[in-house]
Amino acid sequence: MRAPLAWSVAGLLAAVALPWYALQEGLDSGAWLSGLWSSEDYASGLAQSIAHGKWWLAPVLASLAACLAVALLPLERERQGTLLLLASGLGLLLFVAQALGIGLRGWTTEWLNALLGELDARQVGIGAGGALVLIALLSLLSIALALRGGFGGDAFVAGAVTTVAASIVLFTAWPILRILLQAFQDGDGAFMPALLIDRLAAEKIWSLRCLTGGGRCGVAWNTLFLALACGAGTTALGLAFALIATRTCFAYKKTLRVLTVLPIITPPFVIGLALILVFGRSGLVNQFLEWSMGVQSTRWIYGFQGVFLAQLFAFTPVAFLVLIGVVEGVSPTLEEASQTLRADRWATFSTVSLPLMRPGLANAFLVGFIESIADFGNPIVLGGDYGVLSTEIYFAVVGAQLDYGRAAALALLLLTFALGAFFLQRRIVGTRSYATISGKGDSGLPTPLPDRARRAAQWIALPWAGFTLLLYGFAFVGGLVKVWGRDYTPTLDHYAKAFAIEHTADGLIWSGAAWNSFWTTVKLAAIAAPLTAALGLLAAWLLVRQRFAGRATLEFATMLSFAVPGTVIGVAYVFAFNVPPIEITGTAMIIVLCFIFRNMPVGVRAGMAAMSQIDRSLDEASLTLRGRAPQTLVYVVLPLLRPAIVGALVYGFVRAVTTVSAVVFLVTAEYELATTYIILRVINGDYGLAIAYSCALIVLMLAVILVIQFLVGERRLGRRAPQIQGGRA
Amino acid sequence: MSVEFRDVVKRYGTATAVAGVSFIVEAGTLVTLLGPSGCGKTTTLRMIAGLVLPSEGRILIAGRDVTNLSATQRDVSMVFQSYALFPHMSVLENVCYGLRRSGQRKAEAADRAREGLKQVGLAGFEERQPSELSGGQQQRVAVARALVLKPSVLLFDEPLSNLDARLRRQMREEIRELQQRLGLTVVYVTHDQQEAMAVSDRIIVMNAGRIEQQGGPRDLYERPATPFLARFMGESNPARGSIRRLAPDKVSVRLGEAEIEIADTATADGEATVAVRPEAITVEPAPGPAGTLPGKIAKASYLGTHMEYSINTAAGTLFATCPRVERPLAAGAAVAVSLAPRGVIIVRQ
Ligand SMILES: Nc1ncnc2c1ncn2[C@@H]1O[C@H](COP(=O)(O)OP(=O)(O)O)[C@@H](O)[C@H]1O
Ligand SMILES: [Mg+2]
Repeated sequence: MRAPLAWSVAGLLAAVALPWYALQEGLDSGAWLSGLWSSEDYASGLAQSIAHGKWWLAPVLASLAACLAVALLPLERERQGTLLLLASGLGLLLFVAQALGIGLRGWTTEWLNALLGELDARQVGIGAGGALVLIALLSLLSIALALRGGFGGDAFVAGAVTTVAASIVLFTAWPILRILLQAFQDGDGAFMPALLIDRLAAEKIWSLRCLTGGGRCGVAWNTLFLALACGAGTTALGLAFALIATRTCFAYKKTLRVLTVLPIITPPFVIGLALILVFGRSGLVNQFLEWSMGVQSTRWIYGFQGVFLAQLFAFTPVAFLVLIGVVEGVSPTLEEASQTLRADRWATFSTVSLPLMRPGLANAFLVGFIESIADFGNPIVLGGDYGVLSTEIYFAVVGAQLDYGRAAALALLLLTFALGAFFLQRRIVGTRSYATISGKGDSGLPTPLPDRARRAAQWIALPWAGFTLLLYGFAFVGGLVKVWGRDYTPTLDHYAKAFAIEHTADGLIWSGAAWNSFWTTVKLAAIAAPLTAALGLLAAWLLVRQRFAGRATLEFATMLSFAVPGTVIGVAYVFAFNVPPIEITGTAMIIVLCFIFRNMPVGVRAGMAAMSQIDRSLDEASLTLRGRAPQTLVYVVLPLLRPAIVGALVYGFVRAVTTVSAVVFLVTAEYELATTYIILRVINGDYGLAIAYSCALIVLMLAVILVIQFLVGERRLGRRAPQIQGGRA
Repeated sequence: MSVEFRDVVKRYGTATAVAGVSFIVEAGTLVTLLGPSGCGKTTTLRMIAGLVLPSEGRILIAGRDVTNLSATQRDVSMVFQSYALFPHMSVLENVCYGLRRSGQRKAEAADRAREGLKQVGLAGFEERQPSELSGGQQQRVAVARALVLKPSVLLFDEPLSNLDARLRRQMREEIRELQQRLGLTVVYVTHDQQEAMAVSDRIIVMNAGRIEQQGGPRDLYERPATPFLARFMGESNPARGSIRRLAPDKVSVRLGEAEIEIADTATADGEATVAVRPEAITVEPAPGPAGTLPGKIAKASYLGTHMEYSINTAAGTLFATCPRVERPLAAGAAVAVSLAPRGVIIVRQ
């Protein structure tokens, strides 16, 4: 057995030849090479445990050595598996225990102090050596499970499950758990259960005074009102669009589809900006009113109305995408059956088609609801006095208050709303789906919409679509005039200010104000996108194709992380990763990780949908033809999954570039991102630059989509195979 | 190479798909797993392939314990019901796939793949896409793809169920011919007893996750051990008869007014369940001679090669096939039914 040998050796090498702890300056300086034994900062795991008093590392390394011994013994397969399982499992337990138990100031908790006495030692965050040892132990554990016949006896599958599960635990579950802890702690980290109740019961959160007339409502109610309105509004609009696109002979369906892509590649607050250009204080409407009737300009757009409008524009396309599948999935045969049973078109629509779409409508509502409570860009740009949880959390973390406990409590509340909606939806809809796309080929024709419904849909949808286009138009023009509202002279100044490049004696200088954040964004998004896609598709492959213990739990965990709002993730990362054992606050790595685990659930979902259309026997054929699991994945599954890969890559990149809510907590002066930079400009009232920059981002993302599309290429399939099934014509 | 199952059980959650199965497939033979849909044939086959691992018991291939080995680690190939040809690869690439994965170089793999395609009569189709082939051709590509790996065991899961009746007969003859020519060890799954009888050296009949009976096609048809088998292997009429021993190797079976003498050494006197094959029933216009069973035709249908009758008698409603089509009997006619001894089987007391 070579794999256990290789992993034990790799782990031991990492324990001897790499610094165990994280280095301030990173690995690439090379300074650590000379201090591997002697320097307390640079020492390897072995050196730390022997020469620098970190005795608790020794048992971890010993279990790794035990793994090596087991790998070398000439044992029978299952026996070797059992021994390896014991050694690596023990190693993992010891690793986790020391990492969680011993921190910057000795024991991390009071009861450990009380139990074992003060510990006069400290450790910082895990570095390359520690991380590699952890990976080696996890790999050995998976191999051991496979040797004992787990995971179909396949070490690759076992490793993949471990990888996915461990990374979800580390980078989604653990940070969220930390919020919970933080919400109970006071400023010094002491555990105070009563504090949470205090924090959550605050007047500012729950006041209902806006209903009785005097004053404002609490942020919790604001968030809920807004989310309910947004969920209902986007669902209605999305349904109207979906009906028009599939059930009428409307001529501009293609345009409609493009309209739905735009908001996905648009940073979420661009719509808010455009709304300011139209309705803001110096916006077109106010100016017109002042000019024609002498009406004082108002701040009308700032507040609930503005945020609601912006969210409607921003999230209707998402609802459309959810609903179009649902509307198309309603089996025409059922509608035809209804018509042959004496139901006219309206009765068919209202008693058959609509009820069949109900689970889909609930889904769309849930998506709108969660998008709304997770939205940070629009409320901060347009909210004015109308505070919502996401902005409130932001001010608690970065504002003058600097109250982490309060931020955690609010994040907990936000998370509760999201998960509440998620579970409520599952309770109501269950896993029922009436969508009936089967491989059987439904021969019926979709029934055209009854006139009443068609007219209603068109009256809602078309003006809305026109208005969306108009807003984009304004946003585009807004970047090309001097000062919107005062001086409409065409100019390229804003672009020049953002993206200037100067020729000097020293060569090119990227002197534009935006370059720094632009390149950081592109770089980090480009690193994150393939990792997001890979992890997402791997998880999807496991969930769809493999049967293993805990499969249902894993699927549930990925679904759940989809419902966690970005703001919560962002705050959670701040709390979880600025103390050992994982100390990465302020680095680029934390931003990349946030991108990956924020966007992975969508990749999983898309991958699962695509994969369940591919006949399972294709994988099995490959397995019985000597293709091991990884080869099957590479030669059979991935080539058939090209559209899903493109989707996951594009989505991973685009979301990384456009996301705001999660990363506003993680950016630093060194690693500033495009969206956070733009938001700061908007808060400072510098609309011209902000708009110019946003337009540039939109163009960049269009280009990226086209390039990825081109690189990955079309799926090569026989011409007679409309569905991917084992070659049956 | 031989395949051996020792008390193999497969559970899915609380449901038991295979409930304790033991058998041996001798090297170089074709053994069929036969049974109604849902009886656990596919699960059994997939356990041989290593696509599912058993919950209990051991599996041996060529004497080696492979119970916990994954599909790739076993020297086994499989032909799928849906053929499972990779739609993004040409015919040649499909057949090369396994060879390439087991580490052969491209040219060498292509040579062997061409040879394999020739063996199944598909030379010249190398560059086609699977979707450009007919069902029978796709089937042959799937066979070639499995064959070129020279696996120690070749598995077929209902390989013919997607073909029309004529092609089914042709393909099953081809598979049998190939198996005998190359001396392959084959495990073949089907729910069609005619297909099973036509191709097999031995048949293992399964029912509800257990083995009902195993043996050669002739054994199973002529000496079914249980009522299930009598019903499942060919048509048969279940009836209650009374047994009386006439000699150490001979008993008389009484069904209503008919009495038949058949060879039997084991059955004791008394009531027994008897199966009567439809082709063993002769129908004459009434009145017949003594020892025949009077009855009345309930239904009569003409099928070209033979007549089918449903006859109400004192021993129950009997279904009969009758090769005499020139003088058909009409529904309602009174008839005398006589039974040929070779088609009357005592299944269980
Ligand atoms: N993956 C599975 N999960 C749960 N039950 C299964 C699974 N595969 C098969 N079964 C059950 O096991 C039984 C036997 O199935 P199978 O072996 O496919 O039958 P056959 O091939 O004889 O038609 C059936 O009752 C089936 O429902
Ligand atoms: Mg089957």
